[in-house]
Amino acid sequence: MPAALLGLHAVVALAAPIAARRLGRRVLLLCAVAPATATVWALLHASAVVGRGEAVDVHVAWVPTAGLNGDFRLDAFALLMVLLVSGIGTLIFGYAAAYFPATKRDVGGFAAWLTIFAGAMLGLVLADNVILVFVFWELTSITSFMLIGTNHREAASRSAATQALLTTGAGGLALLGGLVVLAEAAGTYSLSGLLTAPPGGEAAAWGIALVLVGAFTKSAQVPFHAWLPAAMAAPTPVSAYLHSATMVKAGVYVIARFAPAFALLPAWRPLVVGVGVATMIVGGYRALRQHDAKLLLAYGTVSQLGFMVVMFGLGTPDATFAATTLIVAHGLFKGALFMVVGAVDVQTGTRDIRELSGLRHRMPVAFSVSCVAAASMAGLPPLLGFIAKEAAYEGVLAGELGLTGPLAVTGIVVGSALTVAYSLRFVRGVFAGPRAAAVVPRERLILVAPAALLSAASLLMGVAPLLVDALVNAAATAAHPEWETYHLSLWHGLTVALGLSAVAVAGGAALHASRARVERWQAAAPRAPSASGGYDATWRGVLAVARRTTGVVQNGSLPLYLMVILLTAVTLPGAVLVADGEWPTATYTIGSWLQIGICLLAAAAATTIAFASRRFTAVLLLGAVGYSVAALFVLHGAPDLALTQMLIETLSLVIFVLVLRHLPSRFGHRPQRIDRVVRFSTAALVGLAVFAFSLVTAGARTAAPVSQEYVARALPEGHGRNIVNVILVDFRALDTLGEIVVLVTAALGISSLVVAGRLSRHERRASAGDST
Amino acid sequence: MTSLILETGTRAVFHTILVFSVFLLFAGHNAPGGGFIGGLVAGAALVLRFVAYGSQDAARTVRARPETVLGAGVFAAAASAIAPWFAGGQLLESRLWALTLPLLGTIKATSVLVFDVGVYFVVVGLVLAVLVTLGGELDS
Amino acid sequence: MTLVLAGTVAVLYAVGTYLLLQRTLTRIVIGLALLGHGANLLLLLAGGPPGEPPLVGEATSGVVSDPLPQAMALTAIVITFGVLAFLLALAYRSWAVSRNDEVEDDVEDRRVAAGKRASVHDEEVGQ
Repeated sequence: MPAALLGLHAVVALAAPIAARRLGRRVLLLCAVAPATATVWALLHASAVVGRGEAVDVHVAWVPTAGLNGDFRLDAFALLMVLLVSGIGTLIFGYAAAYFPATKRDVGGFAAWLTIFAGAMLGLVLADNVILVFVFWELTSITSFMLIGTNHREAASRSAATQALLTTGAGGLALLGGLVVLAEAAGTYSLSGLLTAPPGGEAAAWGIALVLVGAFTKSAQVPFHAWLPAAMAAPTPVSAYLHSATMVKAGVYVIARFAPAFALLPAWRPLVVGVGVATMIVGGYRALRQHDAKLLLAYGTVSQLGFMVVMFGLGTPDATFAATTLIVAHGLFKGALFMVVGAVDVQTGTRDIRELSGLRHRMPVAFSVSCVAAASMAGLPPLLGFIAKEAAYEGVLAGELGLTGPLAVTGIVVGSALTVAYSLRFVRGVFAGPRAAAVVPRERLILVAPAALLSAASLLMGVAPLLVDALVNAAATAAHPEWETYHLSLWHGLTVALGLSAVAVAGGAALHASRARVERWQAAAPRAPSASGGYDATWRGVLAVARRTTGVVQNGSLPLYLMVILLTAVTLPGAVLVADGEWPTATYTIGSWLQIGICLLAAAAATTIAFASRRFTAVLLLGAVGYSVAALFVLHGAPDLALTQMLIETLSLVIFVLVLRHLPSRFGHRPQRIDRVVRFSTAALVGLAVFAFSLVTAGARTAAPVSQEYVARALPEGHGRNIVNVILVDFRALDTLGEIVVLVTAALGISSLVVAGRLSRHERRASAGDST
Repeated sequence: MTSLILETGTRAVFHTILVFSVFLLFAGHNAPGGGFIGGLVAGAALVLRFVAYGSQDAARTVRARPETVLGAGVFAAAASAIAPWFAGGQLLESRLWALTLPLLGTIKATSVLVFDVGVYFVVVGLVLAVLVTLGGELDS
Repeated sequence: MTLVLAGTVAVLYAVGTYLLLQRTLTRIVIGLALLGHGANLLLLLAGGPPGEPPLVGEATSGVVSDPLPQAMALTAIVITFGVLAFLLALAYRSWAVSRNDEVEDDVEDRRVAAGKRASVHDEEVGQ
């Protein structure tokens, strides 16, 4: 069934550009069918997966021997992610249909990419094979690239898209490396298998470090976070969907999956918690400086992602539970806030909080939606955000975490205070102030409705936590098997957690109250090295090094390239051969007289070619070499080879003649790029290396030839007596299939080259006719 | 550059060589030969024809277009590779059929023969493509 | 292991390399063909000692030459033929268009080597 859902996304994505010609922007509503179906599918499994804690496993064998299988697994945690990805996705599609002007160009392409993204994200959270995880992970990076670059006519969009692709793409490579190392160490490519029996040892530590690098880039953790604010160049539906609610949570998701199994590695907690806390604080601090409401939210997202990384990264059952609640809360409030910013942008034409004023009068619904969502973000009761934050404090305080405990608590308090401050900054900046002079059109309810739904959910789940209790508990159990059900509630009594919440809120309010001073201080503070500056410097450095290297290595002369390659091939393996090669003890024979005669003939003919000045002479000598080689094949006991060689040699001669009749009979006399002596020495070195190589290979056999098995199986299984032919068409038929495809390609290449040549000659003739 | 002797000679041996190439193709599973060698022999026959008759006459008598021959070859090989899938087997799995025909008695045929026929056609197609393109204006 | 065969392989490789390092496409094609011959012989050599043809039920002495390198060499021969034909078509086209069959230096690469910016599109990404 997961495969069918992914197929549905693919089909819808393919159909979107065609349907868009007729439907225009309403094609987005059609595309919403795909995530909506996925949502319904997840809900249908809810009673079994959430209620009884089962997992739906789907296994599609592809290449089992290589560990490549279409394994999907819907456990409660995956189900929660599916609801986020596809549920919010459905709303986003509806929102996007209202967001874009009816005249938007290429809305079909946009809809297709957004649908592919929805499918990729769905696949990512359902995948139970590490290679599959990587494939979907990369697919989300690529779709993100395309979607950020939606307005590809603007340079800012293009460079933002490239930055996101390079950062997350590099992280994706690290992830792949890490996953493969871990899977090899564990002996299974199944994700659930890997996590239930985690491998240990140094290899596993390196593997997990690489996985973390991948997760950090995707979830915009310090120091890889610069791409996320830059990605705000995308249309707002994309920002709301990919860059707050879903894709950036892919890294968090991976950490959530791996933390319970690997959190006890010595370096894990200091690294993950340290990075997460740093991200929380950097994101919050930077958010307080932004004037673009969307950028403000983006830095807020960075901060919140840091929060989630800290919580999942702790890897204790309590922390996992809190983080699971947080991931739901964040999806709800951040999705709503982004959609509100988009609506404001559409209605007023600006997102700058210095220009926006008095919008609460003109957009009352958006205002109340934002108040609820921002309050949830700030962690105020009675909203889901508050419950999540309480659970987070409880989770950190409950675990025995050594030094990381206090670090995490401090980080969360400071981060939360900053969150309160930027939440206030957002609501006040966008909606407060006197009524602006500019006339704002009436609020379009269709643009705020999806956000209102999400905010209502924040509020409802806050007031009546029972609504999500079962789901979050089951998800936490799926992510961390040691978790025992604990019921979410608004009021736990006067606990330390409540006190910490109060401290954070008070701190945030104070920060906001003295915002003028904070802004002055931020402006005066020495500018810390920024991550985007780091990215730019890295990129420029790479380009400069590439240009310089290319200038030296790629100087445009084919003979020089070849010489570099050949000399490398001779010196590196050649040196190893001389130093380390096992010189064979096998007995050498000189060869029979017949063999010696033929060999001398071949060698003499070949050597003469080097000095031939006429093309035909060279080709005839080449034929002599070819027939001699065929004779050597006969002596070696290879009749098939000899036959083939004779025939090929004849056909080659004919083709040479067909071409050479057009060319001058003598070779040209243009000076060569490489001096004759250098060429001669290179050739001699290559010859020597090959000679040494052929001596060593003869004595290098340690195992019995694999072909003995072929010989034994040829008649009973291949039903043929000619073993060479049986190998070609049966045992190694896939190779042969590849080979004939190469032949077809060559044939088509020849046809197009020659036919194109004819055309140009016709043209020449035509132009010659014109001139006379 | 057509010569009467070559033309007559070609007329005499062309079909013989073609038949021989088919023999090599089918015998190849048990004796030296096979799709590659058979295809090359057939290619040699085509070369002979093109040289003897000139490319335009030869192209008129050899009516198969190289693209068609190449396509047929790849199709046959790929189809015989994929076919076992639909019969519930593995990719490229081979089958053996023993047919008892009147007059001829029992004939053993393996499914890889189809594959080898594909190889044969690809090789013939390659030679034909070379002759039709590079061999153009042989008579001029 | 036959020394004289190894020597022949070495000569074929050396001459092939020598021809490959030139400008004229015809010589390059011939060089490639020589390298192909050398490689095929090397495959057989590496496969073990010679013997009778690998046909089931026809060997009398019991020493059969290794069929696997033969199958590899057979495909290699045919592939080399395809490549050869393609390169010759390239030489023909080069002659038809520019009246020479030489491999020219790449102009764009020369410009990069001279320190000039190759083209516009690698600039923008760095912004």
